[in-house]
Amino acid sequence: MDNDDTSSPPSQDRAALSRHGMGADHAFDLWLQRSLHALYDRVTQEPIPAELLRLIEEDRARRKA
Amino acid sequence: MPNNEFHGQLIALLPRLRVQALALTRNRAAAEDLVQDAVANALAAQDSFTPGTNFAAWMHRILRNRFISTLRKQRDTTDIEDLPAGAFAVGATHEDRLVLKELGRAVNRLPTDQREALFMVVLQGMSYEDVAAATGCAVGTAKSRVFRARRQLQAWLMGEDRVRGEASEKAESRESVRGLGENALRI
Repeated sequence: MDNDDTSSPPSQDRAALSRHGMGADHAFDLWLQRSLHALYDRVTQEPIPAELLRLIEEDRARRKA
Repeated sequence: MPNNEFHGQLIALLPRLRVQALALTRNRAAAEDLVQDAVANALAAQDSFTPGTNFAAWMHRILRNRFISTLRKQRDTTDIEDLPAGAFAVGATHEDRLVLKELGRAVNRLPTDQREALFMVVLQGMSYEDVAAATGCAVGTAKSRVFRARRQLQAWLMGEDRVRGEASEKAESRESVRGLGENALRI
């Protein structure tokens, strides 16, 4: 005899699956944060182009004068 | 804000602006041009900055508006997307480099508004309130964009085409660009 209950997990199992899913999401989010830093932090460490700094410093000097 | 402080804050923010420009353009050369243009705009508009308010949010708005303005002018040009330098890290193992390259490509596939919000929160450490202020959206929208970006990346990297229940990727991209334009803010 077919039992409809077998097609969907009991509520406590669904809650456990949901918790498991949330845990997986959290683990992915932590991995994502580390990986995005690994990918993009190098950009923040590159020297600022001299032309850009000169643009700002010239404006600073002009406003001081 | 005294002029010295304004210029000092601008210089201190440059590394973060470069990353954010990369989030918007996905191209190194275009990102450098965008930062340069945004800095020129900020210097011209510095008297409109209200001392005591959030300088980073103000500056991100200028960067964003400049990007939107450039996007409108160059609507028909073809993007050449760059993978971030970290994908080629010498110290990483071959497997790590492959995974990072895959992530870099997936990040570039995200709708612009999601990638922008994700970078602000995850890489810049900005609060959702600051993201909302910088992008001209509600705090809930900022949270939603970051959430959807995370789940979409997770789905792609797990081999799924898209997050279940989401609209098609193309429709999202169109919406994303339209949303950026609608949220352009006056400085």
